[in-house]
Amino acid sequence: MSAIILNNVSRTFGTVLAVDRIDLSVEKGEFVTLLGPSGCGKTTTLRMVAGLERNTSGRISIDGTVVSDAHEGFFLAPERRHLGMVFQSYAIWPHMTVFDNVAYPLRIRRRPRVEILERVANALRLVEMEDYAARPAPALSGGQQQRVAIARALVFEPKVLLLDEPLSNLDARLRAQMGDEFRALQKRLGLTTLYVTHDQAEAMALSDRVVVMHGGHILQTGAPPDIYLRPGSRAVAAFFGTPNFLDGIVVACNPDGTDRYSLTVEGHGWKGQCQAGSARSPGSSVQVMVRSENVHLAKGDSTPRVGEIAISGRVTETIFRGAHRSVVLDSAAGRIAVDLSALSHVAIGDTISVLVEPGAAWAIDN
Amino acid sequence: MLRQRLDRLSLGPTLGVGALLLLLGFLAVYPLSMLFYGSLHSTPPGMAGVFNLDGYAKIFSAHEATVLANTVVISLIKTVIALLVAVLLAWIIARTDTPWRGTLEVLITLPFFIPPIVTAMSWGMLGNPQVGLINQAWKAMTGATASPINVYSYAGIIWHMLQYSTPFLFLFIVDIFRAMDPSLEEASRMSGAARLRTFRSITLILMLPALTSSFILSFVRGIESFESALFFGSPVGITVITTEIYNSINHRQAPDYQYATALSFSILGLMFLLVICQWLILRGRTFTTVTGKGYTPTVMQLGPWRWVTFAFCLLFFFVTVVLPVGQLIIGSFFRYLGFYSAEMLTLDHYRSVFGNSEFWRGFRNTMLLGLLGATATMVLGSIVAYVSARTTWRGRRLIDAIAWLPWMMPGMVLGIGFLWAFAMLPHAIPIYGTVWALLLAYVALGTPVSVRVMNGAYAQLSFDLEECSRVHGATWFQTMWRILVALAWPSFAVGWILTFFGIMRELSASVLLYSVGSEVLSVVLLKLWTNGAAEQVSVIGLMMMLLVVVFRALQLRFLNRQIGVV
Ligand SMILES: Nc1ncnc2c1ncn2[C@@H]1O[C@H](COP(=O)(O)OP(=O)(O)OP(=O)(O)O)[C@@H](O)[C@H]1O
Ligand SMILES: [Mg+2]
Repeated sequence: MSAIILNNVSRTFGTVLAVDRIDLSVEKGEFVTLLGPSGCGKTTTLRMVAGLERNTSGRISIDGTVVSDAHEGFFLAPERRHLGMVFQSYAIWPHMTVFDNVAYPLRIRRRPRVEILERVANALRLVEMEDYAARPAPALSGGQQQRVAIARALVFEPKVLLLDEPLSNLDARLRAQMGDEFRALQKRLGLTTLYVTHDQAEAMALSDRVVVMHGGHILQTGAPPDIYLRPGSRAVAAFFGTPNFLDGIVVACNPDGTDRYSLTVEGHGWKGQCQAGSARSPGSSVQVMVRSENVHLAKGDSTPRVGEIAISGRVTETIFRGAHRSVVLDSAAGRIAVDLSALSHVAIGDTISVLVEPGAAWAIDN
Repeated sequence: MLRQRLDRLSLGPTLGVGALLLLLGFLAVYPLSMLFYGSLHSTPPGMAGVFNLDGYAKIFSAHEATVLANTVVISLIKTVIALLVAVLLAWIIARTDTPWRGTLEVLITLPFFIPPIVTAMSWGMLGNPQVGLINQAWKAMTGATASPINVYSYAGIIWHMLQYSTPFLFLFIVDIFRAMDPSLEEASRMSGAARLRTFRSITLILMLPALTSSFILSFVRGIESFESALFFGSPVGITVITTEIYNSINHRQAPDYQYATALSFSILGLMFLLVICQWLILRGRTFTTVTGKGYTPTVMQLGPWRWVTFAFCLLFFFVTVVLPVGQLIIGSFFRYLGFYSAEMLTLDHYRSVFGNSEFWRGFRNTMLLGLLGATATMVLGSIVAYVSARTTWRGRRLIDAIAWLPWMMPGMVLGIGFLWAFAMLPHAIPIYGTVWALLLAYVALGTPVSVRVMNGAYAQLSFDLEECSRVHGATWFQTMWRILVALAWPSFAVGWILTFFGIMRELSASVLLYSVGSEVLSVVLLKLWTNGAAEQVSVIGLMMMLLVVVFRALQLRFLNRQIGVV
């Protein structure tokens, strides 16, 4: 049974359609991330699950019970949904100590004193903040506030944890560290988590499943590798970095044994194989996505292996970036950006060939 | 050595600071010291006398204890009620889905800008136990013979104070509500606390420092207030400190200046204590709950209740604006107050007011003083704020402190201070009895507000802008003009209008400092009222109301976001 189910859920603000009829389910113990550009409706979706925003249509269920049904006019107040939430601003109450902040949900639930002491201590230990219990909340750093916010959201053992860009106020290094720590904690406790971010690297590193949103719609839902390597549309592909898109014509199409297909495609000055999510008829046009980091430099005179796409062109730009070297080729197939090894020596004006394995080329549905 | 020091001090700033100190000293420190001098002086200003403590001796009397108790209790009760109503109104406007909140906000804040003397006179007519419109209507409707309302009472004084005090507090509190990060409350809801509990444990506690501050401010203003007690207390013998001071000068065979001055000086002590008290309570207790994210907090869906909150706001507007203004309109068209029948309709009052040279003189003086005074006050305030916030000149803190001094002085007290101050000037400087006397008093009274407004404006402009301009070759003067003035002018305009309103409503200092020829509108009103010309008062009241509406509309139209009233 899914922990969270959204059925056909929408939200309008006046005339703005912030979330447009989305369907989504999150399994127990699963970490699902809502990802998308600013203003696409991530926060609104999260807040509707939380009950801080009322959905204008559709139904939301949590743990098998309906919490909001716009059609029936049913709406359960946020305090009765028993969800933990971490806000972007952390929302640590400045008039309380760390202990009081974390104890608040338990005090509201009128737990006995001894239990409160014990559970707050446990929660603070979980986020490694047990030494700060007596601190006034304003005297905390951003990272510490974030930990307290997580402890506060976990202390009453909520059914589901909701987080709205919890890491966006931290600096890059701390962001990565806190993200990994949180993911470990989430796995250990088996928390059902719905997480909002606009940072694609964060989404990929943390999630079991990523939901890509745009303009109030869900574009695609899938595990991080699926979303990244096998995007369903050009919009999803373009959301992660700036991949190359090669135009071509399908020559042959065969099932590859899994639920995918292997296509042979021919374009301007190149020919090779790629994968596709659906069958294509020969002769139809197709766009092939190739990510710049999945391209290698052809070694000397070695001929391409069967199915490999080979493209040659003249180097027009080359930038050393430390981890790799970004090179732009001017080829018959158009402008191609590739990330080569940092050790490769390529100069502007050189003519080079690059190779793409069949597994690294993906046909986008049009 | 000396040259080095002179260089370091550099002449410009030293001269500038010196001139400012002289000016502010004359406006604030001089009247204050003259107040002390006068409180020890046995005769009225300008006459030979001896020094003694008689003035202070008279303060310690049973009568004075009653006056003090009246003042404190009246102010306390009105502050508590005003705060409760203001919090409720602010919450309705900032946090609920009540319809037409934007318009309601404008309506609710309007009574703050109406001169209290105008509403006092309207309520004097509305709630008059014999001829008051409300009482008449009540009797006509129920057939009762007893009047339910008598504004000439403690309740009447408080009632009238509430009308301008509530919108004043509202202006503060609505901004506090708006500035609060809504996720602080949402986090509480998510923690399992229902709405009411969240309001109690989070919202209210977070607002407590600001509410305490507003409470003390409103309490202080209650003690300083003059009109309410003058109109509704004096006729039935209820006296507060300000009316006691006024009466001991104006309504005795022999004005007792020494007593009035000693009393004024003692009030300052009380104010000083209150300010210290506020400082002690609030030390280190301001929570910054403001976030950078410009979210409008999600408003609470009230369902059908939103019409109740809507009606409540409208009722407030009706009681504080529609009723008194309606009374003025009715009063101005009928021959006699209380006799409202068709054959009594007349335009005579308009004719006599417009044919009355005293009215025109008052009108001219008020406009002149308003324009000059507001401009002078804002220029002074801008300079003081600039020097204290944007330079590292020596003496800037002293300047800031002196400019703030009149904040503690009720208009009545400052008026008496200036009475002495002008009388002690050499005869070659004949300020006393001219409009310039009023101008100086108005500038002194308005400066603390103007400094705060301009401080707020400068605080929003980063130093980079200023430095950037200078790096790009602009001189200090050009920088001042191009960058600061250009960017700070909206605040200047807001402050200007506030000061103008302040001058238009001022009564307590004016009534002490005017003399024949330099009457302002509020003084003309008071004189007419004392002579029983309530119908002409209605006409002039309406004219002032018109001015208020015009200026307020200009302010709202051209300065989209008003800056909180200090
Ligand atoms: N209270 C509101 N009133 C009106 N419009 C709103 C409100 N809240 C959100 N919107 C609109 O709904 C849309 C979705 O907003 P939402 O906050 O969900 O975006 P988001 O994906 O979280 O963006 P970000 O990454 O910037 O946080 C936006 O167009 C926004 O302007
Ligand atoms: Mg958001």
